[in-house]
Amino acid sequence: MNKKMDKKDDQFDSGNIRIDYDHLDVADIMDQIKKKTDAHRKNESADLASEGDVRPDSSLNSPEFEESGPVPSKAKKFLFKLMRPFSPLIKLLVLPVYQELRETIQTLDRTNKRLDFLSDFLNGALDEVKANLSQFNSETNKRVDLAFEDLTRAKEYAKLLHNLSHNIVVEMTKLKIEEENLKIRIRILEKDFAHLKSREKALESRISQ
Amino acid sequence: MKLAFVVQRYGLDINGGAELHCRWVAERMKKFCDVEVLTTRAFDYITWKDHFPQGEESINGIRVKRFSVNRPRNPERFGKIQDIVVGNEHKEIDELRWLEEEGPLSSSLIHHIKEHESDYDYFIFFSYRYYHSYWGIHAVPHKSILVPTAEHDAVIHLKIFKELFRKPLAFVFNSVEEREMIQTLSRNENVMGDVVGVGIVVPKEFKTEEFRKKHQIPGPYVIYVGRIDENKGCDELFDFFLRLKKELDTDVKLVLVGNTKLKIPSHLDIIYLGFTSEEEKFSALNGAEFLIMPSFFESLSMVTLEAWAMGKPVLANARCTVLKGQCMRSNAGFFYENYGEFSLAFHLLLFSERLRKIMGTNGQQYFNQNYTWEVIEKKYLSLLDRLQERPA
Repeated sequence: MNKKMDKKDDQFDSGNIRIDYDHLDVADIMDQIKKKTDAHRKNESADLASEGDVRPDSSLNSPEFEESGPVPSKAKKFLFKLMRPFSPLIKLLVLPVYQELRETIQTLDRTNKRLDFLSDFLNGALDEVKANLSQFNSETNKRVDLAFEDLTRAKEYAKLLHNLSHNIVVEMTKLKIEEENLKIRIRILEKDFAHLKSREKALESRISQ
Repeated sequence: MKLAFVVQRYGLDINGGAELHCRWVAERMKKFCDVEVLTTRAFDYITWKDHFPQGEESINGIRVKRFSVNRPRNPERFGKIQDIVVGNEHKEIDELRWLEEEGPLSSSLIHHIKEHESDYDYFIFFSYRYYHSYWGIHAVPHKSILVPTAEHDAVIHLKIFKELFRKPLAFVFNSVEEREMIQTLSRNENVMGDVVGVGIVVPKEFKTEEFRKKHQIPGPYVIYVGRIDENKGCDELFDFFLRLKKELDTDVKLVLVGNTKLKIPSHLDIIYLGFTSEEEKFSALNGAEFLIMPSFFESLSMVTLEAWAMGKPVLANARCTVLKGQCMRSNAGFFYENYGEFSLAFHLLLFSERLRKIMGTNGQQYFNQNYTWEVIEKKYLSLLDRLQERPA
């Protein structure tokens, strides 16, 4: 079927992920995958950061550092070793005297341009962040104001409720006193009735005599 | 014992997750109880407008009573109120207005539940987020069982649902993660509830070679089955797959089965088959190296269970807690949160046949222990028994 599908498992490059086929544990494999992707991501970000660095132009390299083409590494090393003592002389013969100075200035110029660009970029990003922050702040303030209004209203309600309950207690006390007075008056009236009854009886007996 | 299954839509042609789930459980429980389905006349889940005739009918031997909706849903109005209740300051009355718009707004269905409460022993409500479940459970809380089919979406945080989750007599959850989510949200640990899910029947024979010939897919392929939609994470899947194809020297293809709402990238290695028959779907699944399930929100992915039942491993989206949990418990699937993880897990599954075999076997074991219909029936019956035995 597929050229890569034909690989045998023992040859299979699982990217340094250990798999215990006898006691397969998905959680463990996923941990390994996560660690590997995290590490990869860190490397990538490090690479990106280093891409921003200013690299000297390859033409600036002295012959001893040049890594050109298909020359076998051993022969290359040997040649470099052989030519090392003559490298200042070669430079002097091959390059004009001011060449190194010019190239240094060019490098510095490129660095400055890159710094300017990065600084502009940073300023732009900062402005955006500021705008977002201020928008977020104004929204949050609005919400806080709304919440504060609700809270004030709730506070007013609580005050009113407090007054109301106080008034109810006063009214209840008054009613209780009133009730007691009425009870006493009823008792007095009952006694009056009893007295009038006994008088009535006495008068009746008198009349009948 | 008489059970009423209450669901938003019901019919043989209705393939929505919760609706299909309800029909399958109702048809299975018919063996043990007197079963009736109470539903609306709706067919379309966007507007809920009346489609089926009113009254009673029998579907696969089950009595189905249909009730009209008061008014169809207005998607524009629904969108506006949804914006208010999701992520904005609002009141409970707004949430109730949202629920009315969410629908299916069928007051006659709720009226029937109230009026005929004594005719049924239990009402089993499907899908917490719809009108019928909310007001139905409020009408008969002491006889209601809720199958929430909840996903980790924004509306589950609404206040009305916190209160709703404390009301029913019992819950039937689809997964451990769903139970944890609902209990964390509403602190309803005192309400009885079991993790049950739904059973799957897998055909015994597959016509995989026929399928390969028909669609001219001789080589290896991975498969996605389901609605092809942004909400299902398909756009991310396309992006990841195409990036992977650039990096990986392989002729593996991505086969897509299901209706699409997205523009599928035109690429030789992405093969879109559209909606297929069940037989063809299983044949396709059987020929695949593994299933990819990129969805962010799933209450229970039936396709994932089908893949495991067939001994196929799964590569799922880790942001869906249910899928992640199931992969971990079954030891039959990997999951990814970013391209790096997707690529590595894909690589592992594609190039190690041994790993695929072991994970497939694990998936089959997990399926047999939890998701055959015999297991599901037993779980439902055990719950009903416990409800019957509980003190009045």
